Amino acid sequence: MPMVTRPQFLPDLPNWSRKTFFAVALAAICFAFAFPVLWLILTSLRPESGVYYVHRGTEFTLINFKDVLAQERIVHAFINSAVISTLATVFSLLVTVSSGYMLSRFTGPASRMWFGTIYVFRCVPYISWVLPLYFVVQSWGLYDTYIGLLLPHIAVHICFFSWLMKGFFDGIDPSMEYAAMIDGCTRWGAFIRVAIPSALPAISALAVLCWLFTWNEFLFALILTGNRVPVITVVMAQFVTEMGLHWNLMAATAVMALLPAFLVALFGQKYVIQGLRI
Amino acid sequence: MFGEQQRFVLLLIAPAALLMLLFQVVPIVIGANASFRDWALYNPKKIWVGLAHYHSVITDPAFLYVVLPNTFLFMILSVLGALVTGLALALLLNRPFPGQKIVQTILLVPLMVAPVIAAIMIRWIFNDQFGIVNVVLEALGFDGQPWLVQRWSAFAIIVLTDIWLWTPWFTLLLLAGLQSLPKEPFEAAAIDGTSTWRVFRYLTLPMLRPVIVVCVVIRAIDAFRTFDIVWTLTGGGPGRSTELFSLYAYVLAFLNLDLGRGSAAAIIGGLIILVLGVVMYRLVDRIAKA
Repeated sequence: MPMVTRPQFLPDLPNWSRKTFFAVALAAICFAFAFPVLWLILTSLRPESGVYYVHRGTEFTLINFKDVLAQERIVHAFINSAVISTLATVFSLLVTVSSGYMLSRFTGPASRMWFGTIYVFRCVPYISWVLPLYFVVQSWGLYDTYIGLLLPHIAVHICFFSWLMKGFFDGIDPSMEYAAMIDGCTRWGAFIRVAIPSALPAISALAVLCWLFTWNEFLFALILTGNRVPVITVVMAQFVTEMGLHWNLMAATAVMALLPAFLVALFGQKYVIQGLRI
Repeated sequence: MFGEQQRFVLLLIAPAALLMLLFQVVPIVIGANASFRDWALYNPKKIWVGLAHYHSVITDPAFLYVVLPNTFLFMILSVLGALVTGLALALLLNRPFPGQKIVQTILLVPLMVAPVIAAIMIRWIFNDQFGIVNVVLEALGFDGQPWLVQRWSAFAIIVLTDIWLWTPWFTLLLLAGLQSLPKEPFEAAAIDGTSTWRVFRYLTLPMLRPVIVVCVVIRAIDAFRTFDIVWTLTGGGPGRSTELFSLYAYVLAFLNLDLGRGSAAAIIGGLIILVLGVVMYRLVDRIAKA
């Protein structure tokens, strides 16, 4: 931050009113951003009888959460979502960190071609390959299995994350790696022992983003899974159509689906902001 | 056959390339093949029909006069909305004030919310009978609206939900951009007593332009394929009036079970966004070099 006094906002107003104005505006913005989530949490705490009048009444209960957790399908969906998100994050990073490193450190036809491919495939809209992905997964016997959902999830992030990783590695001076190689490291050694540790903030940021993206993803799961591998977003969407009247249960499920994402993001926020700064 | 360096380079990208081949290239090829055939689930023959599916999609009035305008309107409104709000918030967070950390965390909340869950929350808030919006309106003496079953209010809600979801993304990247700007020009401007608006207009904005353009390009391409929130909020309704492109292709393929025509629609959309992507990439390149 520049440490010089800046010209003031609304210079005609006295200091305290400017501060009040600022505080009120800030509070309003925060409220607007948080309101839907707050309202959801409030709804999830209301008993069935009071759910249609969330704004009235002061009865609160945790029974909705208990009811939701008693439903095997929902518990199953939570576990599936967690497993798939975690595995997808690990593998996705393994694949994209090396591909981003290659894009950043090597020039030449191979690198240019790979970058071009990534850019083109980044632009191909989801739907154009998610739709036929159904045939592929179906014909390989992977429909409605873990692998059949996991592999496309890894594939989907390759373009974007390779691109981001290239940017991160571009910001890291390669001379350390050259020095390591002069000292007898192999290329792999220089990559794994020197480049990766210095890119660790960025990699953590990507891990957080990847986990969140996978946890929140919907279209893949909708198309590639049936009843055997329910994931939480699909189950939530079915709620709307099949159980539309139980808003209290729906809110409780939604709150529980938000919770892991919140925790991951809360602890990961630091890395994301650091990592994206390059 | 290859030198040591080539082997290293190839090994670095091999896993990524293999996965992309299996789960992106192969499906696209299969989809392209399906789009030329009468490929329906109940019809195993898969007769070659040439461009018939493409013809029926681009002459479909629902596609031409509803889906395409909806998609572009949605793309423009939601990207612009999220950019303006995101930039404003990034500027706000860029100067220190007490409680900044808390505000920042709150503003990033939508980033953690799954689009499906966001849509469910918004659906509940705008519920025509029990939603808080109508309750408040009625308490103030206005008539409650059936928000999600009127075309333009439903469309506006979809756009607003998308802006809510993606503003933090702009804020995050623009804040990162703001904090990496050189400090000297701002100090010089402050010494000269330049007004806040002029600093923004002639210093911040031009220096931030590359970051803004990259954000807009990435986001615009993503917005084109928005599916989750529309599916959960309105399902394309009332009628088909809020259908976006992804939903249109999905409905053709998986609800009407006409995979051939669905694939054709998906490929048409793919071509549109590819052209847009290339044009925008050129633009980014020119701006980044200027």
